[in-house]
Amino acid sequence: MQGKSMETKKRTLRDFTSKPEFSSLLILLVMFALTAILQKNFFEIKSIMRNINAFAPLILVTMGQAVVIISGGIDLSSGTALSLLTCVLTSIMKKNDPITGLYGIIVAFIVALLIGLINGFGIGYLRIPPVISTFATSFIWLGIALFLRPTPGGESVSWFGVFYNFDTLKDISGFFGTLSGFLPPSLLLIIIGCILWYVISKTKTGRYIYAVGGNSESAYESGINTAKTQMVACMINSIFIFLAALFFVGQTGSGDARMGDPLTLRSIAAAVVGGIALSGGRGNVYFALVGALILSFVNKIIFFANIPYAYQTLVGGAIVIVAIAGSQAYISYSTKTKEIKIG
Amino acid sequence: MNILEAKNIKKNFGGVAALSGASLTCREGRITGLLGANGSGKSTLSKIIAGVYAPDDGEITYLGKKIHYKNPHEAKQQGIGMVYQNLSLVPELTVWQNIVLGDERNAGYFLDDKNARERTTDIVHKLLPTLDIEKKVFELTPSEMQVVEIAKAVSRKPKLLILDEPTAALEKVQVTSLFNMMKELASSGVAIIFTSHRLWEVVEICHDLTIFRNGRNVGSMDFDKDEKDVKKIIFYITGSQSETSIAKTCAETCGETRLSIKNLSLGTILRNISFDLKKGEILGVGGLAGQGQQELMLALAGNFPKIGCDARIDGKPIKLTKPSKAIRNGIVLVPGDRETEGLFSKHSVFSNLIFSKIGVDKKIFIIPHRKLKKECEQIVDILALKAASLDAPVSTLSGGNQQKVVIGKWLGLEIKVLLLSDPAKGIDIGAKADLYSYIVNQVRSTGMSVVLYASDTKELIEYCDRLLIMYEGSIVATLGTEEITEENIIRASMHVEKE
Repeated sequence: MQGKSMETKKRTLRDFTSKPEFSSLLILLVMFALTAILQKNFFEIKSIMRNINAFAPLILVTMGQAVVIISGGIDLSSGTALSLLTCVLTSIMKKNDPITGLYGIIVAFIVALLIGLINGFGIGYLRIPPVISTFATSFIWLGIALFLRPTPGGESVSWFGVFYNFDTLKDISGFFGTLSGFLPPSLLLIIIGCILWYVISKTKTGRYIYAVGGNSESAYESGINTAKTQMVACMINSIFIFLAALFFVGQTGSGDARMGDPLTLRSIAAAVVGGIALSGGRGNVYFALVGALILSFVNKIIFFANIPYAYQTLVGGAIVIVAIAGSQAYISYSTKTKEIKIG
Repeated sequence: MNILEAKNIKKNFGGVAALSGASLTCREGRITGLLGANGSGKSTLSKIIAGVYAPDDGEITYLGKKIHYKNPHEAKQQGIGMVYQNLSLVPELTVWQNIVLGDERNAGYFLDDKNARERTTDIVHKLLPTLDIEKKVFELTPSEMQVVEIAKAVSRKPKLLILDEPTAALEKVQVTSLFNMMKELASSGVAIIFTSHRLWEVVEICHDLTIFRNGRNVGSMDFDKDEKDVKKIIFYITGSQSETSIAKTCAETCGETRLSIKNLSLGTILRNISFDLKKGEILGVGGLAGQGQQELMLALAGNFPKIGCDARIDGKPIKLTKPSKAIRNGIVLVPGDRETEGLFSKHSVFSNLIFSKIGVDKKIFIIPHRKLKKECEQIVDILALKAASLDAPVSTLSGGNQQKVVIGKWLGLEIKVLLLSDPAKGIDIGAKADLYSYIVNQVRSTGMSVVLYASDTKELIEYCDRLLIMYEGSIVATLGTEEITEENIIRASMHVEKE
């Protein structure tokens, strides 16, 4: 028995470095170091908090996106779904009536689940290719969001700021007051998301999401309800989007039908950088977080490197391509010794 | 006690009878062997019992009740487990996750992974103690995957276990432990159906034997009473057909060596294959299905970059690492699966015919439409290809005409070696004769050489000048013109002499 555990230990390091996730970690380290060099006050608590706040929405949306991609789908509607949820929240809340904040959260949560349900129904039960069905639903969410809020704005209860900054609670409670000094609520939201996925990954649902994405025929053959699994994956995704929406409304106090748009494709790119295979079944949701961090750091680097504004977008795109190509090359290098397979 | 009784099962696939009145009985605690040549209906019957196909006629009684399963899942729940030839595992999950997939148990709200690992270890330990159950399935070798597949079926505690060619992918040691497990299962009361192309395995492990030919029972044996007589079994499998021999006209036209292959190897799929192909010769490749014949054809056409081989064409050394290299040297392939490998089935006849021509010629920049159109019209004439027009999509053509398009796309190039991988699969008799007579004519008149693999032994007997018999990736026999008879082929294919 002892010999066996030795053997397992020996293998661990090599296994770890040969994992696709390992390359994402390396890239993250490089990005982290670069940002730390370029941004002078990088290690000050205030700027760490500011960075976490700036990164939070992409991290949350990417984690949800990762769940859908692992289940064999893709969500092109996550940005507009986020916009829609901010519009729903700000339409229900009344500025001077604190209880409406609670109503808003409940209604928005239900709407979020419905969004996931509809996306998942299209992918799982109607068998519409995910790219098409979520592209179509993205216009539905946008349409409803524009109906609710044709121009950015709306009302928010004052305590909603708690999702952005605990400062709002300073007067009420001493405990939260001290928290506000170093813990941004956005980090709490991310932790909630991680716990959520941790719990799910310990259940049948979590296992089935990987099975369906990896080989849906054998999953079906093994008695798994593949359509239901894909639908549940979409609903988990919308819970992550819901968390991001809370943060946004907390930050801005308003709703905007177009604010989530850029997040859709960024979240897909971030998931891929984090080692999630677009073919499904492979990847680690926590590493989606790493991917999102990498993409966010890229933005920071460009900002602090004094690159002329006109070139910022170009350089950002190029760095992402290099990062993805680098990690792909690393993966194919580390699996090079694998035996040839005959299709 | 009879666990399963299948009576008079009939099944047609698109007008072709796969089973015409097959019967099978499985008894508690006994291993029943299913034997028969390619296409005799062994797999079809297994799949009908496991609920994959529904029978057209006949009845199946399982545990005293008549059954009509709609899908394999239903059969599985009733205790009928089947190990498939083509694997049904999820590559991204670990070994133990695959084995318990769909049968997970909870401890409280969460999955009971400890229990799952224990269940897995128990079974895997018996089959392959060295297998690491934490490995992901895509990291395993094919034989390890097969073991996982078997373990998955066994873990559901079936009352009837169907093993369809489970040993084909296994190594010798693994076969021994599989047999030990089968014996153990049988002594605990499980009924097992076992098919294998290795005759001696079947004789060794089985208690009963049922032999099929052309979808019908031709014999059965009970080794409690009957002797283990291999000759008698082979007689059942081949039948007492009279030998068909066709006069061959080759001999004198066969000239010097055209293609010489030495020590061709590809993993465990092709082992050390060497042969010479003469000018104007039709060389057959035969044997039981799936012994590496199709892979050999693909390898010769340059589809495997990692191939190890010493190849010469007309004495000139060549590399077979890319299809384009093979084509430039005049080696072209008519693949077995024309739908996926040979054709763009939604494109027109015209565009299918020209791809190979414009692909090889590096000088072409703008496609010379009019010139190609004329060439294609000629090809259509030569092959007597029946299509509404050159612009008709290939998918609208009949199977035989589709196959002509696959051959036609190589015409106009200088073909030295034509590789035919089961060219007559799924085309009707008239078209088949047409196709072969065209090929034979070409061979006789131009000195082109042909390597022919056909799943139908009769085609090999009829057209081949020489026949290589493959078994588990190597060539085990070479039959000369006079030796090519059905009996010789089957005898060599079964490789009885081995043990």
